[in-house]
Amino acid sequence: MSQTCVEVRSEWSIVAARQAGRTIAKEVGFGSVDQARITTAISELARNIYLYAKVGEICIEKVVEANKVGVKVSASDNGPGIKDLRRVMEDGYTTSGGLGAGLPGVKRLMDEFLIDSKEGEGTKIHAVKWLR
Amino acid sequence: MNLEINHIEKEGKEYLFLQGEIDVYTSEKLKQTLLPLTAQKGNEVIVNFSDVNYIDSTGLGIFIGALKSTHNHESSMKLTGMAERVRRLFNITGLDEIIDIEDSEREEAK
Amino acid sequence: MEKTDVSLQEMYKSILEGYLHTGSEHALYEAQQFSRQLIKENMTPEEMVNLHVVVARELIPDLPSEVLEANDFLLEVMVGYGLAYREHQSLRDRQQQLESELAVAAQMQQELLPKRIPKSPVLDIGIKTVAADVVSGDYYHFIEDGNDHIGIAVADIIGKGVPAALSMSMIKYAIDSLPEQRLQPSALLENLNRVVEQNISSNMFITMIYGSYDLKEHKFQYSGAGHEPGFYYNHSSRQFVDLNTKGLVLGVMKKAVFKEYEQKLSPGDLIILLSDGVTECRAESGFIERSELTEIIRKYEHLSAQEIVENVYSELEQFQNFQLQDDFTLMILRREV
Repeated sequence: MSQTCVEVRSEWSIVAARQAGRTIAKEVGFGSVDQARITTAISELARNIYLYAKVGEICIEKVVEANKVGVKVSASDNGPGIKDLRRVMEDGYTTSGGLGAGLPGVKRLMDEFLIDSKEGEGTKIHAVKWLR
Repeated sequence: MNLEINHIEKEGKEYLFLQGEIDVYTSEKLKQTLLPLTAQKGNEVIVNFSDVNYIDSTGLGIFIGALKSTHNHESSMKLTGMAERVRRLFNITGLDEIIDIEDSEREEAK
Repeated sequence: MEKTDVSLQEMYKSILEGYLHTGSEHALYEAQQFSRQLIKENMTPEEMVNLHVVVARELIPDLPSEVLEANDFLLEVMVGYGLAYREHQSLRDRQQQLESELAVAAQMQQELLPKRIPKSPVLDIGIKTVAADVVSGDYYHFIEDGNDHIGIAVADIIGKGVPAALSMSMIKYAIDSLPEQRLQPSALLENLNRVVEQNISSNMFITMIYGSYDLKEHKFQYSGAGHEPGFYYNHSSRQFVDLNTKGLVLGVMKKAVFKEYEQKLSPGDLIILLSDGVTECRAESGFIERSELTEIIRKYEHLSAQEIVENVYSELEQFQNFQLQDDFTLMILRREV
């Protein structure tokens, strides 16, 4: 299965990750609203890496299950990790400013959301959007 | 309503210069700065009140917490330069009997 | 949801089509009604924009490609906007939930206060307590021991809101469980201090004044734990005297001692107890001075104790422009005969 990965270490790479995501979302057959949602989610994940871990990776791939097809976005870094996951996933919690930013937003935009983070080791996030 | 905190280390003593109001909204910030200082064994913490024009009961609570922390960690804390309105609250609450308050306006870390 | 609700889509299509044909106000009115429907159906801003784009394409087949691209551009913007919108909604729901919990806490707190003011032909009592927020940090209590004494407590719990309400129930039950010491204010505060010290977090405390009024001898015996001083008002000389007390706030040191004081009253004399919300009340022009407060009380001296406290409150309420900054409690006792 083909996978496109973008290394995130600058604001420019956020744009590259978005572009990669949009291309794959289009190929899979998502309409324009969902394309916009998937790229916005990628943007948020990449921005989190850029702001808190400084360096990390975003990978985007097409996923196929029994009777559905979708796009999976994986973000991983070896940054400081998240101490209190529950708080970070709460609406209204933000360190980067602004309503609607951050992980709760990503979770809303996508259909599946998995996060694994260890303090001092880093964070891994998987998010999937299924084509309806 | 704001509180500015300046932390200066001089001759082995920890000076905190406070400016503004110590109330419900600002006291968490004061706590974050003050408590770690009192939690270090042997630390001498001197808090300067010259530019504090208001303290409420939540603010007093922070100093009670800090005092307890000095007892637990063998450190010390002294409050200096209080205006009369602020001093009055320490007096009414009886806290001036258990907290070291220096009334003269001497500023040692200028 | 890429495929928007078909019925909504049909509805929107017919409204927009009508508008394109007639340009009438009636169609715009229908559009307004439609927006209510959107909110009811929890439709997000980006879904609405998408709905519009899809319908507009059907109705106007020869849209220039720049317009179509501009629509896609708008869609991108609306995704971020929609996220903020939904977060806002979710925060609003949570706020409503917290508010209703708080209202329940406030209701329970009311239950902790005395149901009635003790009645006596020789002592007139007035009390006014108002919370700055939903839940108050002020507390008062009467104890009638049927032995010609009335015990009176006014307490102020640090901070406001829920932590204060939790501490309040602790004080009430602690006082209720100390029957023998009722008539000795210093002993009562010492016992209470032990309970509070063990049960309160390290940067919290409670201030309290406790007094016992002797209905036969007309003496007021009192002790204070770091509480805002009350006043004694001498009716014949029209002078106020501060009821200063020496004593540490409750909850700070295990073994605190409290000095006991006594004030004799002649007919018409007043004892005034208050929380610091009365003297800490602030307006643009600054804090109210204790001397201004006594001036107001003197002005209403000819009224009943309850009328005096009501009048003082409404004056201070105006002084603060009806925005109470701190909980307010004022109690007045007057020897009648």
